[in-house]
Amino acid sequence: MKSEPELQLETRGLRAGYHGCEVLRGIDLEVRRGEVLSLAGPNGSGKSTLLRAVTGLLPLHGGEVRIDGIPLQALSAKERARRCAVQPQVEAPLFDYTVGQFILLGRHPQRHPLALATARDRDAAARAMEQTDLASFAGRSIRSLSSGEWQRTLLARALAQEAPLLLLDEPAAHLDAGHLFALHTLLRSLAREKNCAVLCISHDLNLAAEFSDRMLIMSQGRVQATGTPEEVMTEPNLREVFACKALRVGTNPFTGRPASFFAP
Amino acid sequence: MNAWLRLFLLALAALAVFLAALCLGPTSLLDLPRFFELLRDGPSTPELERASLVFWELRLPRVLLAAAAGANLALGGLLLQAIFRNPLAEPYLLGLSSGGALGAVIALAAGATSVTWPALAGSLALAAVVLLFCRRRIAADLPSLLLVGVALGALAQAFTTAIILRFDPGALRSILFWLMGSFAGRGWSEVWMLWPAALAGGLAIWLLHRPLDLLALGGESAHHLGVRVPLLQTAGIALAAVLAALTVAACGTIGFVGLIAPHLTRKLVGAPHGISVPGSMLVGAALTVGADLAARTLLAGTELPVGVVTGALGCLFFLALVAGKK
Repeated sequence: MKSEPELQLETRGLRAGYHGCEVLRGIDLEVRRGEVLSLAGPNGSGKSTLLRAVTGLLPLHGGEVRIDGIPLQALSAKERARRCAVQPQVEAPLFDYTVGQFILLGRHPQRHPLALATARDRDAAARAMEQTDLASFAGRSIRSLSSGEWQRTLLARALAQEAPLLLLDEPAAHLDAGHLFALHTLLRSLAREKNCAVLCISHDLNLAAEFSDRMLIMSQGRVQATGTPEEVMTEPNLREVFACKALRVGTNPFTGRPASFFAP
Repeated sequence: MNAWLRLFLLALAALAVFLAALCLGPTSLLDLPRFFELLRDGPSTPELERASLVFWELRLPRVLLAAAAGANLALGGLLLQAIFRNPLAEPYLLGLSSGGALGAVIALAAGATSVTWPALAGSLALAAVVLLFCRRRIAADLPSLLLVGVALGALAQAFTTAIILRFDPGALRSILFWLMGSFAGRGWSEVWMLWPAALAGGLAIWLLHRPLDLLALGGESAHHLGVRVPLLQTAGIALAAVLAALTVAACGTIGFVGLIAPHLTRKLVGAPHGISVPGSMLVGAALTVGADLAARTLLAGTELPVGVVTGALGCLFFLALVAGKK
């Protein structure tokens, strides 16, 4: 009997928030190895809060989070970082490091604090730079990068971590069309070929529907819909969640995947 | 150029500054034939005896003290700038200088002759109050720390002024000199206080170089990469406070070194802390020794507080920095 792919991230009844204000009101979530799960929802629906809660940045008000089957609280900071890599939202860098130095810092969880970088560390960093089209950027200062290049650098650092679970907070926000396509292709191949579990917050419903195995739409701190893109991308779902009557759902004429359109 | 080569050149430059500071002053020790005579025969003439005394009891402890003070302030600044991810952070933001001054004047008013330990107690006490106030929101919240530091510093200054006004003019002059920072009249005991702190502090901060790199580049990212951010922040702020408080106690308030030295270091050898920790120690030490040399040689016959020189240097440095950005 073929067993289910390993559950890499799981939350049950997750509740969390800021200063007594509850943002997440009971989230059940599963991300398995080999799949890309896209997380969508209106502004303020709790997507980034969810990412912060499952990585231990926010104290949980209730429910539980398991990474690789282990309760989040039972993992030390480094053990968590070896299992779960995060690409955060873009924040401008203040200090001058080179792209190469910055990406190599992604190897921190695997290295002793004082150990020099091993060949394996350098390989992982070089591979991450290849994958993000940054191979020629190693010597550039991170403060000289455009927003899109900086965003790819942040992704490369998360990739250099070589964790089986990858959480990305709007990795596509500043990318041009070519790099947008490359990013989503890369995420899919990481899931298929490297057997990673990928959770990606995305505002582009069509890209999410095109490239992910499953989608989850959040609204006001709850899961509004989850399932395959076909199950989630329905007109009633989208119109309710985004409070927009002009949203229509059709199909991409080239791939047959669901796609949303505005019909004002 | 390789960063380590640049660090080496920086060390040579710092050494040149130290040597110049050892030789130059009201009593010049530059006379080489005399120096060799001294080595060969020992202090044989009263003149040589005087030179030897100047060197061992005045010049050498003074240069060593200035170097350690500069290294401590630079380390504190480097640490706080990484922890708060703010290039404007520096150790005096924690209210250390005002607390030290208050401790010193209270001790003087009570008739004490040495202010070192009271100043240390005052600095640490004020820093502890500032940190306790911000404890709940210490997650790299520089603005609130800054506000609390400024507010409590102003209160301490008000008390200091109220106490100073009761002093006679002679005591007033000496406390003013102390407040502006000076290496005059200090000796080996202060050297033995600051050097171990600088070496141990530098080593401790260097051991944390990679977590500090990660923290300087983003608090949430550092957490995601396995750094225990609140622990590192608390330990770092405490360490910076102790280093700067010792310095304030030993030599008063020497402004701007904690702010300029890390900036200058990052420009000279780069930002990664593996190299900028030793780099900023060298830059801070060379800056302070150089400033002290200027303070005691610029005006013939009189000595400026070194804080006046570092203040002027700091102003020029930041104006140049802003002009360079345009």
